[in-house]
Parts: sequence; C-alpha cells; structure tokens
Amino acid sequence: MTDYSLIIPEAVLSASAILVILLGLVLKNKRSLAVISAAALLVSIIAIFVSGKLTGGSEELFYRTMVVDPLSQVFKLVFAAVTLLTVIASIRYYRDHPNQDEYYALLLFATVGMMLAASANDITTLFVGFELASLSTYVLAGFDKKNAFSVEASLKYFLIGSFSSAILLFGLSLVYGTSGGLTNIPDIVKFYSENPAMLTGAIGVITILTLIAGFAFKMALVPFHMWAPDTYQAAPDVVAAMLAAGSKKMGFVAAFRVLLLALIVAKVDIRFTFAILAVLTMTFGNLVAISQRSIKRMLAYSSIAQAGYISMAFVVMSPLAVGGGILLAIGHAFMKGGAFLAVAVVTYMILSDKKDSQGADHLDNFAGLGKRAPVTAFALAVFAFALAGIPPTAGFVGKFVLFSATIETPGYIWLAVIAILNSALSLYYYARLVKYMYVLPPAGDRISEPIPYVAAITLALLVVLIIGLYPEPFIDWSVSAANAIGVR
Amino acid sequence: MISDFAFLIPILPVIAFVLTLAFGRRLPAGGAIFSILAIAGSAAISILIFLQIYPHGEPIHQSMPWFSVLNFGILIDPLASVMLVMVSFVSLLIHIYAVGYMSHDPGKPRYFAETSLFTAAMLGVVLSDNILQFFMAWELVGLCSYLLIGFWYRKPSAAAAAKKAFLVTRVGDVLFLAGIVLLYFNMIKLDLPSGTYLLQFTTIFENVSRIPSGQLTLITLLFFGGAVGKSGQFPLHGWLPDAMEGPTTVSALIHAATMVTAGVYLVARTFPMYLAAPDSLIVVAYIGGFTALLASTMGLVMNDIKRVLAYSTVSQLGYMMLGLGMGAVIGAEAVGISMFHLISHAFFKALLFLCAGSVIHAMATNDIREMGGLLGKMKVTAITMLLGAFALAGIPPTSGFFSKDAIILEGAYTFWQSTGDMLPFFFSAAAAVLTSIYTFRLWFMTFTGKPRSERHAHESPAVMTIPLAILGILALVFGGLAVSLFIPFVSESYEHELVVELAPLGGYALGEIAHAGTAVQSIPIIAGVGGFIIAWLIYNRRLLDMSRIIKSSNPLYRLLVNRYYLDNLFTDIIGVIITHQLFAMLGEWTDRKVIDGIIDGISGFLIACSELLRKVQTGVVQNYATAVIIGVTLIAISINIITGRF
Repeated sequence: MTDYSLIIPEAVLSASAILVILLGLVLKNKRSLAVISAAALLVSIIAIFVSGKLTGGSEELFYRTMVVDPLSQVFKLVFAAVTLLTVIASIRYYRDHPNQDEYYALLLFATVGMMLAASANDITTLFVGFELASLSTYVLAGFDKKNAFSVEASLKYFLIGSFSSAILLFGLSLVYGTSGGLTNIPDIVKFYSENPAMLTGAIGVITILTLIAGFAFKMALVPFHMWAPDTYQAAPDVVAAMLAAGSKKMGFVAAFRVLLLALIVAKVDIRFTFAILAVLTMTFGNLVAISQRSIKRMLAYSSIAQAGYISMAFVVMSPLAVGGGILLAIGHAFMKGGAFLAVAVVTYMILSDKKDSQGADHLDNFAGLGKRAPVTAFALAVFAFALAGIPPTAGFVGKFVLFSATIETPGYIWLAVIAILNSALSLYYYARLVKYMYVLPPAGDRISEPIPYVAAITLALLVVLIIGLYPEPFIDWSVSAANAIGVR
Repeated sequence: MISDFAFLIPILPVIAFVLTLAFGRRLPAGGAIFSILAIAGSAAISILIFLQIYPHGEPIHQSMPWFSVLNFGILIDPLASVMLVMVSFVSLLIHIYAVGYMSHDPGKPRYFAETSLFTAAMLGVVLSDNILQFFMAWELVGLCSYLLIGFWYRKPSAAAAAKKAFLVTRVGDVLFLAGIVLLYFNMIKLDLPSGTYLLQFTTIFENVSRIPSGQLTLITLLFFGGAVGKSGQFPLHGWLPDAMEGPTTVSALIHAATMVTAGVYLVARTFPMYLAAPDSLIVVAYIGGFTALLASTMGLVMNDIKRVLAYSTVSQLGYMMLGLGMGAVIGAEAVGISMFHLISHAFFKALLFLCAGSVIHAMATNDIREMGGLLGKMKVTAITMLLGAFALAGIPPTSGFFSKDAIILEGAYTFWQSTGDMLPFFFSAAAAVLTSIYTFRLWFMTFTGKPRSERHAHESPAVMTIPLAILGILALVFGGLAVSLFIPFVSESYEHELVVELAPLGGYALGEIAHAGTAVQSIPIIAGVGGFIIAWLIYNRRLLDMSRIIKSSNPLYRLLVNRYYLDNLFTDIIGVIITHQLFAMLGEWTDRKVIDGIIDGISGFLIACSELLRKVQTGVVQNYATAVIIGVTLIAISINIITGRF
C-alpha cells in the first residue's frame, strides 16, 4: 500500500505550480502569486518535518520508483527552504514583472525536479527529475531576457548542460544494458555486487567514467565547472542564489545515491580519481576566486571550491565523512544562497538608481557597505566567514566534521591538509570582502534595504548561525542520511 | 563549619572588583565601600579559620578536578593561615587609609577595582593547593602590580616604571614556569596511581624523595628564580625602587607588605623540596644575605622618602630569604623564623609607607631634603613612624627586634656554628647596623630640625591616622606577644617526620639550634642602638657635616648613589643593548625581511597563479565542451592507472 502522504511535498508544489500558471492567465495583479508559491513551499517544508523520515526509516513508493529516506528528506528540506528564500526575495525583485507567473511556476517546477532527483529510486526517475530541474533553470537563468548577458549565460548553460545530460544518459543506458534491463537503483547495486566484473571490464570503466562526468557537471567539479561562473554571474541575482544553493546540491544527492553506493558495493577503488578531482576543484576554485572583482563571480568560484570540499566525502566514504559532506552541503545552501541575496540587495539598489549599469556587483560597490546597508553588510560578513569556515557558523561545523573524518581515515591526512590550506587561502578573498565593507570609506549614501530581501537574508543568517551554535540535530540528520544510503 | 566558606576568601574581593568597576563611578569615594566590605569579609573568614587551626588543628584541604591530572584547590595549613590573616588584614587597613589618601584622585574607581583584584589574586596565591594555580594567581598579582605602578599612566616615569617592573619580574616568572614544567615531567615519570593530581603540593612533597636530586636542585633553583624576581632580590632588585612611582598606598600594600613577599612565600610553600636539595638553600641564603647588605648600603644615600623605604624592603626581604636558607641546618624551623619576620615586617613596613604617604600627602613632595621639623605639625604620623622605625631598626621591644633577632641568632649564628661558615652571619649583622642608620636618618631628617621649605604641612584626617595607629600598635607589640608561639606553630606546617626524612637526602645534617653567648646575643641590640646613635649624632646633632662627604667627587658616594651602576648594567646594557637592540631588532628584521618576504612571496605567487588560471575561462562555449572532454579523458586515464591497465 502506497503511503501517499509521503509525496505531499512534491504534490503540493506541482499543484501550486499549475495553479500559478492558471491564475497568471486571469489575474491582472500578479503579486499574490509569490504569496501562493511561498505558502506552498512552507506547506512542503512542514510536510517534510511531519513525515518523520528525517532521522530514520525508508519507504519505497510507486512500484519502487521513488524512495523516501533521511537522505531524500534532508535534501528536500534544503531545496524547499532555498526556494522559499528565493521567492521571498523575488517579491521585490519581480514585483512588477509581467511574466512573474511563469517565473514562480518555473521555480516551483525546478524545486519539484530537484526533489524528485533526491527521492529517485530508479535511474529513469532520476533522469526525469534531473531534466525537469535543468530545463526549468535553463529558462530561469535567462529570465531577464532583455539583458544580453543573462540570455548568453542561459544559452551556454543550456548547451553545456545538454552536453552533460547526454553523457549522463549514455552512462545510464550502459548501466541498463550491462545489467540486463534493470532500472531500479537497489537492484542495480545488487547486480553489480554480485557481478563486480561488469564494472571493472572495459564497458564498466566507460560506465563509471560517463556517470562521474555527468554528475560532476551538476556538482560543478573542475574541469566540468566552466558553465558555473558565467551562469551565476549573468543570471538574475535571485536565480543565481537558487542555482548555487539548490540545483547544485541535486548533483550531490544523486551522486551520493547512485555513484557512492555503486562504488562501495562493486569495490571499485576510484577514491584516487575523486581525490584528484576534489583537490583540483577546491584549489582551482579558491585560486581563481582571488582575482575576481565581480562578487557574484567570486561567489561562483567559492561555490566551486566548496564543491571540492564536499566531494572529499566520495574519497573517504566513512559515515561521518559522508555525513559531514551532507552537513556542509546543507550549510553551504544557506551561506551561499544568503550571500547571493545580499549581493542582490546591492545590485538591485544600484540598478534602480541607474538602469543597465554594468558590473553592479563590482567589489568597489561594496566599499563601506557596513555604513550604507548595515543589515545586509553584517549578514554578508557572516556568510563570508561561514564560507571560510569560521565558528560559530554552519560552515565551521560542516568543515569540522568532514575534515576530522578525513583525518581519522588512514592514508588521507594529506587530503585534509590540502583542504585546510585551501580554507586558509579562501580567507584571502572572503576577508577582503569584509575589509571592503567595514574598513574602506563608503562608496555612496545609505541604501534603503527592501524588507523582503532583509527577511530572506535574515532567515538564511539564522539558519547559518543555528547550525553553527547548535549543530546536534543537523549532524544527526546528516549522519542518518549517510546511514540511509548504506555507507558503512 | 567555617572551612566551607574558605573559597569566599578570594571570591569576595573579585566580586568587589566587578562591582567597583561597574558602579564605582556613581558612588561616593569611588566605590571603596565594596572593596572594604569584601576584604573585611575575607579578613573575618581568614581570622576564624586561623583560630580553628591554631594551635594544633588539622589543615583545611579542599580540591576539585580541573582536567586530566590537574586540579583546583585550597590548602590552608598554619603557613597559609598566618599569611591569609596578614594579607587580608593589612589590605583592609590600607584600603581604609586609601579612602583619605586617594580622595582627590579622579581615578578612584579604577584604583579600588584594581587593588581589590590584587587582593583577590594575592589571597589566591596564598591558599593555592597546587603549583599551577599558584602560578596563575602569581601572574595575576604581577599584572595588578603592573597596572597599579602605572596607575598615573600619563606620567612618563610611572609608565616606564610599570613596564620595567613587569619586564624584570617576567624574567623570574619565566624561570618559575620552566621549573613547573620540569617538575611536571619529573612527576609524570613517577607513574603515580591514576587520579592523583600531579602538581598538588601534598603529592609533590610525598614524592620529593623519588625525584633525582640533580633535577630537584635545578627545579628549586628555577623556582627561586621566580622568587628573586618577585621579591626583588639581587640581581633582579632594580624594579622595586622604581615601582615607587605608584600611589604610596600601592607601595605599602603591594611593594612592602604582600606581593613582594610572595617570593619568600613561594620558597616557604615548597620548602620540603628545598630541604631535599640544600644546595639550593645555600644559594637562597647567600643571595638573601647579600641582597640584605647591598640594599641597605644604597638606602643610606637616597633622598626620596619612598625610595629609602623601598631599599629597606629589598633588604628585609633579603633577611627573610636568608632565614629560609638557614633551613639547611635548622630544618622547618627556618620557615617559622622567616615567616615571623615576614609578618612583622608586613606590619611595620606598611606602617612606614603609610606614614610616608601621610607626610607626602601633607608636603606634596617626596624629597626628605625639603622636609624637616614636621614633629610639631604631624604628631600622630611622627610618633607612629618612629615606632615603625624602631621596629625596622630592630630595637627592643618592638616586633622587628624579635623577628630579626631570630634570623640573626637562631638562623645565621647556628649556621655559623654548625658549618663554620660565618658569611651569612656577617651579612645579617652588618646590614642591621646600616638599616638602623638609614632608618633614623630618614626619621630625623623628616621630623626634626628646622623646616627646609616653605610648605604648610598639616596632620592627615582620621581615616588615615587610625590605620596608622593600629599598625603602630602592632609594630610595637606583635613581636613580643607572638614570638614564642608563632615560630613553632608555622614550623608545624611540615610534619616532623617529613623533615627528618628529607634533610639527609641533600647531605646536610640538621643540628640543634646553637645557644649564643651573651656577647653574641647582644650583637643585634648593639647594631640597632648603635645605628640609632650614629644617625642621631649626624642628622640631629649635626656633629658631622655630611655635605663634606656627600659630594660627587667622593667615589664611594658616587658608587652608592648610582646604585653600584647595577641599573646601568641591567637596564642599559642587558635590557636595552643586548635584548632590545640586538635580539629584538634581529627578530624584527627577520620578521620584516624573512617571514614577511616569504608570506608576500607566497601570496604574490598565488595571485599570479590566480590571474593565469582565470584566463582559462574564455567565455567560449566550444572551449567549455573541450574542457569536459579533457576532464573525461583525465578520469579515464586515472581509472586505468588505478585498475592497472596502463
């Protein structure tokens, strides 16, 4: 008997997405659509909490095509919360946009896609979820269609995204073929554990290769990251927040569910490959972030670096490490989402001053922000320190768990050392941002901070600090999530 | 049980510190009431505890774990109990006196807050039951001393004196800490049962005999290094006279009665360790005796009323060290006689400083050459100061006579008789004569003769004179009343068996206290009275015109007035040239050129890499697709390497 209550989060979001489109056809004043979307997301979040699956228990649904377990619930929570932040901030950003019905519907559909990917128990479901989320975000990235940069970024994102989707699909088809027509993930895992040769032979190598490449694109690991900086920089600010905070995590949850498990049971030791990818990604991200003057671009590279840290979980593969990776992913969603929204305040105010001014997110515009926009500046400073991993923030807790798990694993101390050196390196550009905001003289008069933005930023700030100050339940969820996918 | 409240002894002044800082500004007298009430509370508890222990009560020992093998705790044995009573009581009197003395100072809240904190820290030193907690309180005491010497921090000389005191005592503190570390490693090696607190005094004493004797000598010498710094012994004595830049009440409290005696207390507290390493005790004795004599010669020529007293403090602390050093032959009795002098000195030296403060308060100068003839105008001050002077000079029947007598006769004379080494006896006897001379020189020049300046002196208010009177009475009678009871009581801190067992370890046999003949017994009296007569003849009767001797062409005078050029040696050569110009500048150069160069180099390299790598991001989609292909290829290669295909 299928327990339909477990899909309330997805169901509510899908229904309200359709409702938003329909209402958009008839309503003159479309501002209420944001409220509907926000309400739907809130219901969705509550439903996830009520489901009781955050800390344990797993249930398969719809002929085993979906699974609801701690891993899916934790990530669904993150997706819904991040979209909620985006929606709240968008109340102001798209207040008078004529097509905001499409905007909110796409946001909700993207969220449903991500949730589907998180809950996928079948490679077909996984791919459908991936594509639903990707297609929605391709459009969202170019939603400011009169902005040439935004459109260009959207197109690049689409091209590279499709390219990678093709690679991923190729990999999945190889899985389907070699396993003799299996699509159910546990079945596939079971098959490979019984026939490990299928993964170590020539076809097996190509299978693993294409899967890694496909997921690495979503996770933005170097060298599959090239779309990320261009897209994040040119996408509308609120969308960038959602992309960096939400859709990237979809890659991680899928990778945790499929790749990690397959690798564990088939005893294919490609830890070294992932170690190289992780080191490359964090070092490249941090290094290039140093020379960025555009804050959104800097945040994009910092996001790449964070992906590098999180992918250390694929190397260490202990419950604590995967839990730490998940915890860091959760924390990162809020730190990075909040940071993009804080940047959005600045660019929004500058653009409302002067239309079409280029480089609104240039570092110079953040000089003296502490005096110009105290709430935003304070929050952005906390986000920056959180991203650098300074206590008492979510960034510290996540890195602490992940790095200490790495140190405890014999033979990977060097990886932890590189990660810690990278953290130190990252402080260079985070601290520079804080210096600009608090030490340099103000670049202009006081900015009025729009209430919706402040509300969204404050929410993100609270989450970042709560995880930092009282990490117990979050560590609990993350480790349960790691246990749920069978990490030993 | 009163012992349940022992923890309040240091806590009450801490509370006063917080309250005074927070609310002092809005209260009359700068919130002195908090400090006075709190310290009165500490004094009351201390006295009750003393009465409980005296004469044969069990020591109070309470302890709780801190972490691992360390603990926090309270140990109040006879030694600590007398010290607690003295510190809290003298501190109370000085706080009351300070209400009058500091009445015109706008910084009163800060003053009372800092002296409260000091009192708390000093009481913390006294009742520590382990050497680490002792050290922490010891450092806090040093910090308060620094803050209070520099109380008038806008005065350059005060700021400089504070810095000097801090840095010079730091030399000692570093040695002390090194001693603790060394002791810790030795204790770890002993494999004591788990749950034992390694640095607790009782644990240490029980296991002294198991620590190698060479190590023990080194540890005790390092501890003594700390004591030398804190108690202003040669060669680290230079900071104490300069410390007189602080308010006179601070000099009385910290630099006469309490903090400077912490060094003596440290040696007394760890006395069983010294007993098992008597080579260190001999060092203590020689340094102490030499300091006593050296400081008293310098005291002869000083013209600043407080500096004369400061040198006398250094000299008297030397006596106490000398007394402890005599433990090599008289055992734990040495702790008794040394502590006896410590307590009686605390009373009369605090008295002398407070009298000097009263004079300074009235005359607004420190220079005794500008004083004179104050006897008629300041009767209470003059008489109480005379009592203090008698005590300092060791003239019977004041308390100074009894306590100094014990060190010279029971200590140094016995040492001479049993080892044939008469040097400590000589030091102590010669210093006694000089002490008497400079003490009465001070008194005669201040209070007798004709006024040498046009200032209108007046007697101080009652809030100042009453503490003077109380201390004056103590200076007069304490010694006589307590002499036969005090020394056995304090000596009992260390069980007799312990002493008997430990002493032979160092190869010194404990002897009986030698009974000096009448001739020898009269030496301290002759020294004290003789000094008085000499001073009277020269400075009151003017039989000898000192101006013919005191001039810069007299090499002896030049040597003394320049403090044997020791200050130049230590401050200018070792401090400035070697430490600052050589090591500090070398360090700075290394930091600027080498360390910063490396850091700048690394950061320059990283920024260059960053600039180079960002060019990878061309913005051309075809290149991005190429990157994906390159990535796939790299992963393929790495997987093939791992699976061993290549």
